[in-house]
Amino acid sequence: MIFQIPAALREFAGGRNAVEVDLGAAPLNEALDRLWLQYPGLRDRIVTEQGQVRTHINIFVGDENIRYLGGLATLVPMGAVVSIIPAVSGGLRVAG
Amino acid sequence: MIGEILGHFRIVGKIGEGGMGMVYRARDEVLQRDVAVKVLKKGVHADLPEGHSLLNEARASSALAHPNICTIYEVGETDGNVYIVMELVEGKSLRQMCDGNALAPEVVLRYGVQIAAALVRAHDRGIAHRDLKSANIVITPEGLVKVLDFGLAKQVEVRGSDEPTLSRASPGGSSVSGTLAYLAPEVLRGEPADYRSDLWALGVVLYEAASGRLPFGGRTAFEITSAILREIPAPLGPPVPPGLWATMQRCLSREPAQRYQRAGEVQAALEAVQSAAVIAANTRLEREAPRTTVLHSVRHVRFRRGDELLLVGTIKGAFILRSNAQRTRWEVGGPYFHGNAIYALAYDTRAGRQRIWASAQSYWGTNLRSSDDFGRSWTNPQESPIRFPLDTAVSLKNIWQITPGREDEPDTLYCGVEPAALFESRDAGETWSLNRALFDHPHRARWLPSNGGLALHTIVPDPADRQRMYVAISTGGVYRTCDGGQSWTAQNRGVRVTFMPNKYPDFGQCVHKIVMHPARPERLFLQNHWGVYRSDDGAESWTDIAGGLPSDFGFAMIVLPRKPECVCIAPVESDEFRCSCDGHLRIYRTRNAGSSWEALSRGLPQRAAYETVLRDAMTTDTCDPTGIYFGTRSGQLFSSRDDGKSWERIAEGLPSILCVRSASTADSGPAAGGGVARETSGAASSGSSASSRPSRTGKLRLSKKR
Repeated sequence: MIFQIPAALREFAGGRNAVEVDLGAAPLNEALDRLWLQYPGLRDRIVTEQGQVRTHINIFVGDENIRYLGGLATLVPMGAVVSIIPAVSGGLRVAG
Repeated sequence: MIGEILGHFRIVGKIGEGGMGMVYRARDEVLQRDVAVKVLKKGVHADLPEGHSLLNEARASSALAHPNICTIYEVGETDGNVYIVMELVEGKSLRQMCDGNALAPEVVLRYGVQIAAALVRAHDRGIAHRDLKSANIVITPEGLVKVLDFGLAKQVEVRGSDEPTLSRASPGGSSVSGTLAYLAPEVLRGEPADYRSDLWALGVVLYEAASGRLPFGGRTAFEITSAILREIPAPLGPPVPPGLWATMQRCLSREPAQRYQRAGEVQAALEAVQSAAVIAANTRLEREAPRTTVLHSVRHVRFRRGDELLLVGTIKGAFILRSNAQRTRWEVGGPYFHGNAIYALAYDTRAGRQRIWASAQSYWGTNLRSSDDFGRSWTNPQESPIRFPLDTAVSLKNIWQITPGREDEPDTLYCGVEPAALFESRDAGETWSLNRALFDHPHRARWLPSNGGLALHTIVPDPADRQRMYVAISTGGVYRTCDGGQSWTAQNRGVRVTFMPNKYPDFGQCVHKIVMHPARPERLFLQNHWGVYRSDDGAESWTDIAGGLPSDFGFAMIVLPRKPECVCIAPVESDEFRCSCDGHLRIYRTRNAGSSWEALSRGLPQRAAYETVLRDAMTTDTCDPTGIYFGTRSGQLFSSRDDGKSWERIAEGLPSILCVRSASTADSGPAAGGGVARETSGAASSGSSASSRPSRTGKLRLSKKR
């Protein structure tokens, strides 16, 4: 499967915009573990230290947000494209 | 070789093989650190002309203390083995990173600027690299560029002139891709090489990084040589910005006189592209889709020794402002960390450091970053060092405060975070641990998020007592430890809350800021969510000192470094209307520890100025007279050099300001030998700034052992 790496994280993926993970069909969390193994710097940017996908980050398998599939347990078909994209809901509210 | 000892270096493993010999990982048994040791092939140095030894060359290179140059620690010889001991640089070579794969233009620019900076330093010291190539450039996991083998190639080249393709391991590359492809035409023609030959090689490296291929290729040495001497490299179009391509072209002018003449010119050209370019993201897979554009415009301000700096954190990035010691005109540099919210900044001068710390918050989490070169390069650890342990089931949301520890514990740092917790580092910020006693405090379950979230935002170590420290939590109140963080007690007696039926609870106060003067550690001042207080007994009890203020609601609070009785605050109208009272932007100052307050407004906008000064957006510098600085939510920055009597606006139009800190390029911690005397700006020469800059790697030692 192919992970599309957003521009902000490419410095943690050797400058690549896409990374191929050599894996057949597999649950997303297993595929991500393989991705971290290849590029450890990606992990803490995409998930929290407790392993949850960060609030304003969306992961898509093909065209569908994993939120509406099986979350991190979503089965990623062989050769699928997984996209990691910041959500439009981001931005900062400063209190004070 | 493994297991052998050279001098006091124990060889522990092989790293690789180069043209000059083998490179090993070794342990320095004296200084207890890991180093790289290059053991030269016998013969590499044997037939060198008299008085031109490799040792002399290496000694010269060892003087090149620069963050982008791999430091040489020592050169020695035992049993006929000549070895060079150098900084162990771990990372990937640029060659590995761009082998057949174009790097994003912003990455090329970032690396290019650092490589050029390394050349500037070396050329200034009279040393040419002579073998600059992507395999000699390593990118650390933090994104820092290190150029290896400075000046060492000279001898190899002398010997190897009849053997132009130095066979060096080049993973994945063609066998004839070693040094030859980087050699300048004049070198191939046998003419004298100079610094400009390094600039040619830099052009080749930039081309290679931006396109994933060499500008002058070929299957044989003859083909490569011929291409270098006769061909013009294929032009690079989008996403490579035209300015970057133009810079490469000029580096790759066949006649040295047509090239840039100095490395500093290349660095300036690359920086100009960085600041001007709208760089199209390199999205090979998305080529059909609409282009995402990434606006990349960092402007680095050039500093001279003795300059004063302001570090400004905003909701959209950090800025560094510089002025000379007069502090009248300020130049704005940045933004660093585009689009990130910078809640905390700190400047650490202990143990001779000049280190800026920043917390950068974005979609991708909050990370602690540091810079030892005033913002030109920043660490970016692969793994975030501040993380809640798994068993807490809590995730870091934000870092609100970075506080260097006491002067006599130069490797201690503290961070206050959201959700409310204290992290501590005892190794100068490399590793961090959660303060468990505070995290497990029985009160924690009843602390509540305030408008900004539940954060530990203020940390006040007692400078006179290592065991004692205060922290402030919104909403939780003031907590104190008297046993070095083993236990914590709530210290809020006398501090009122408005949002609970019991107005004076033990804890649960929404404290916005506490400050202490280091000369009066028993006394603290507190700006509360409604209420201004003073304690004279180490936070045992608090007295209301808000009499005479237009509002006792506010966030920022400072105590002047030369006047322990003198405190400044920036009141806002109310909880509901968090703006300066009646549209007058005024700082209130007491000169008698809170007995009375006076309004300071000269030079500040007094008409329709509905501003907020957030809790970390006011600070002082270390100069005499003291400079006071504050930033507003509308992105204006003001300064005063007369204790607040009059103010000047020194910047406007910045994003909303979250925090302001001061720094000085003249600063140096007492551990560096009692502090470095300030130079007046006129006395600073370009040479002095470089040589007197403390080195992170410590003092260089060179010895020749026989």
